[in-house]
Amino acid sequence: MVTHEDVLKIARLSKLQIREDELEAFTKDMDEIINFANTINQAAVESSDFDHINRLENVFREDVVEPSLPSEEILRNAESQEDGYFLVKKRG
Amino acid sequence: MEDYGKIKKLHDSLQKKEFSCEELTKTYIGAIEADNPALNAYVHTTPETALAAAREIDAKIARGETLDILEGIPMTLKDNISTTGIETTCGSKILEGYRPVFDATVWELLRRRGAVLLGKTNMDEFAMGSSNETSVYGGAWNPHSTAHVAGGSSGGVASAVAGNLAVYGLGSDTGGSIRQPASFCGIVGLKPTYGAVSRYGVVAYASSFDQVGPIATSVEDAALVYDALAKQDPRDSTSRGARELACGTLKKDIKGMRIGFARQYFDGVRDEVREAVERSMQVYCELGAELVEIDLPQLSYALPVYYILSCAEASSNLGRFDGIRYGYKAKNYGDVNEMIAKTRSEGFGKEVKRRILLGTYVLSAGYYDAYYKKAQSLRGMLVQAFQSAFERCDVIAAPTVPMTAFERGKAAQNAVETYLTDICTVPVNIAGIPALSLPCGFDQKGLPIGLQLIGNSFCEATLLNAAYQFEQATRETVFRAAKMGVR
Amino acid sequence: MKYELVSGLETHVELSTKTKIFCSCSTKFGGEPNTHCCPVCLGFPGTLPKLNKKVVEYAIMAGLATNCEISNISKMDRKNYCYPDLPKAYQISQFDMPLCKNGYIDLSNGRRIRINRIHIEEDAGKLVHQGGNTYVDYNRGGVPLIEIVTEPDFRSSDEVREYVEKLQLTMKFIGVSDCKMQEGSMRCDVNISVRPVGSEEYGTRTEIKNMNSITFMTKAIDYEYTRQIDVLENGGKITQETLRYNESDGTTSSMRNKEDADDYRYFRDPDLVNIHVTDEEVEAIRRALPELPEVKRVRYISQFGLPEADALQLTKSRAIAEFFEAASDGVKNPKTVANCIIGQIFRRMENDDAKEKFEVSIPASYLKDLVLLLDSGKIRMNLLKSTLDQMLDSGKPATEFLSESDLSGVDTGDLKKFCEDAVAANPNAVADYRAGKEKALKALLGSVMKASRGRADALEVERILIELIS
Repeated sequence: MVTHEDVLKIARLSKLQIREDELEAFTKDMDEIINFANTINQAAVESSDFDHINRLENVFREDVVEPSLPSEEILRNAESQEDGYFLVKKRG
Repeated sequence: MEDYGKIKKLHDSLQKKEFSCEELTKTYIGAIEADNPALNAYVHTTPETALAAAREIDAKIARGETLDILEGIPMTLKDNISTTGIETTCGSKILEGYRPVFDATVWELLRRRGAVLLGKTNMDEFAMGSSNETSVYGGAWNPHSTAHVAGGSSGGVASAVAGNLAVYGLGSDTGGSIRQPASFCGIVGLKPTYGAVSRYGVVAYASSFDQVGPIATSVEDAALVYDALAKQDPRDSTSRGARELACGTLKKDIKGMRIGFARQYFDGVRDEVREAVERSMQVYCELGAELVEIDLPQLSYALPVYYILSCAEASSNLGRFDGIRYGYKAKNYGDVNEMIAKTRSEGFGKEVKRRILLGTYVLSAGYYDAYYKKAQSLRGMLVQAFQSAFERCDVIAAPTVPMTAFERGKAAQNAVETYLTDICTVPVNIAGIPALSLPCGFDQKGLPIGLQLIGNSFCEATLLNAAYQFEQATRETVFRAAKMGVR
Repeated sequence: MKYELVSGLETHVELSTKTKIFCSCSTKFGGEPNTHCCPVCLGFPGTLPKLNKKVVEYAIMAGLATNCEISNISKMDRKNYCYPDLPKAYQISQFDMPLCKNGYIDLSNGRRIRINRIHIEEDAGKLVHQGGNTYVDYNRGGVPLIEIVTEPDFRSSDEVREYVEKLQLTMKFIGVSDCKMQEGSMRCDVNISVRPVGSEEYGTRTEIKNMNSITFMTKAIDYEYTRQIDVLENGGKITQETLRYNESDGTTSSMRNKEDADDYRYFRDPDLVNIHVTDEEVEAIRRALPELPEVKRVRYISQFGLPEADALQLTKSRAIAEFFEAASDGVKNPKTVANCIIGQIFRRMENDDAKEKFEVSIPASYLKDLVLLLDSGKIRMNLLKSTLDQMLDSGKPATEFLSESDLSGVDTGDLKKFCEDAVAANPNAVADYRAGKEKALKALLGSVMKASRGRADALEVERILIELIS
């Protein structure tokens, strides 16, 4: 049974705010989905741990510097910036 | 123009100067202006850059140069594929106004071969949905009947390609997002083997499931685009590229090919769909293929395994949307932390929040073993199950979706019920193997039914060969009828 | 009741690779904000990490230098937590399959500090809070780190100091990091608990994060040790919490409360593949590893007969040790070379940093040639000293400053003449000596040495002088 507290705790970890009027609906949805997920507990697991899906290994890069992106490109999509920094302005 | 082998025909016409690339591009731009309001397939269009690219190609033709097969062909990209300077919003408010400063590898590959990008197409928010209706731009509608959805999450691409608003497009498939809308819209969609196509620059939903693939009106077109995409990419550690090109072997005889079928794929499938798929297997028999019954009892766990693992990965992948570097940022907040929480709460839609919450839940302390770890083990089991199945057959035939296109607004009602409609598509994403959907019939409402063909890892050539032969055999019945209504 | 300290350390060491761990941006320290960044290290949507091979190599070197086992298979995991300096909201790290495990470092008091693991991970960016605004610079984001985690084996802050110094020296010696604590390229999280002496159980621990000075770290440990004992003695309980050390007043205070319990939701990073290192590759790295400072120190004492203090000084950095070894290769008495380095060359170095870098104006071979002249009796010690100074000033070899006559030594006849002259010229000193003041001989000796321009053998001169005046 997923509780309101569970949802609020998970939301905090997820950096999501759940409004009071949404809480019941999210809790109900979560409860249904978790119940649905619980069906895997009926499965007997034969195989050991699953490894990476495409079984590749040792994919490396050489330690060679390439030019970074100009900082105006880096900052282009930021809502707010100052002196080359990403900025989170004081509000309220 | 007939939908079959469109790319080759357009290529020949361009080369023979029957019409110019600019004329061709203008035709599509005009079609988008006329029909997009009804289909809502495109969310960002790029007519100026498309025409500029077209004129360059015309100059090339004028100089007597030989064009690449994909050169000058107007196409589209799902809106989760990064395009330099062109909005890439994943159907989400949280990415509003975001213009990447780099190209996704798949787009770079096609751009270099002269593809003409008409615009970016609609999708479920962050590819989470089966009807395209979780998009902040609203649903993408089905050209066969605009009262029905185009499917999801690559609904916009499917709608555009089926509605002839693009010759082909690229979608992404995490749990069926290429095949399901292709099935709903009566066209061809291929999800390649995990690792065949680069994921670099494709906004991640679930990194160990996501694959980009073509959506086109014929198997030949899908094969041409697949061959162009399936290259090893040094920027993606999980990419391998194709083992073999698919185009060269399309026309191979399939006598003696073993087509597998598992009854588990037909559980809960609507009669019309089941019958269409069964008729398809008959077609294969007539083509000289051998039918082999296989058993895949592990499929019953596929859906919860898929949702647990994909949401776990998504909850982590979507953590980066914090309003600082790109995209939407909340207007009113106290400190930085509140800004992040508000940005995310205002920027993400409900389905995305649900999946983030689920993913966080199954990874969190106390639940990890029961959900995430267990699901990983079951994933391993499913991989093995398919491996053994492919010892007995070359291709598995199944329905793509247990039903035909949903009516508008019907899919988004109940989360779990909607998840259940992905039952036939998610197993291949769990196993990392390739699959495609191609039209195999129509229901009573005239909505297309998709046949799903599933292949072994990196056996796209076999898969496309089997699909091509089916398409040729049914060209006069199914395939011609699958041509779109709107245009 | 008597209490003992129980402490463990997590040390973050920045690796001195040229590029970041998952992209090709430079790791150079400093620079304008956000100028060493690209879509990958900024976590732009759709970007993917690609592991720097050198990071794995350096981490294995660090593991071998601290007696770790190297895992044949390891993997990268995501550590999920949301903070504005972490662009992807997860740090790519290693959780349950670290690259190195089960190592140790031995302390001079005979105690062994066990190393539980060494894993590789990425650094975060930097936040600047000013006037209520938050400014973010991601230049450090994605710089490669190794985290070296010990068991709770420390029993005093002195042990912690020695361990950190040793670790620092070792990492610098093998060239994987510059370990500059003031620049943050080495920093420690220290956890501290106390328990009654003789008890086997662990007490509740507190953690002090991000210590970047050994002095403050030992002070913080001592403070926290006393504070915890005070709490317990007064019937209180220790709260498990993360603390900050206040450098101004030498106290610790709570950083955050337990409500936001860490739940990092570790899972394998699906964007990266396994790291598979074969035993052969590990052995190749082991063979290429330089001799470690501790081994060198012991060898300098046993093989070269150096005093421990000298051996310690000469193993302060790889540059010093290599210079010393090259300069003493084939000389009769390596102690002479050690004296030249410690007595003369070090004196020219401005500070400890310069000493470690040990940039000398002459190659080691010049010093060796000079000392060989002494060995063969061609020059005497004081001539060696003055010549070395000239060499260091100019960067030129000894032959530039020694004339034919310098190198031909002093002939016995000449020496006798010098002595007789000295006796004649210093009647007072002769008288003093005869009156029993042995020191007076030094004045005579000095005069002879001057006359011979330092080429004379002091012992021989003394013998002749005594013969003359006794």
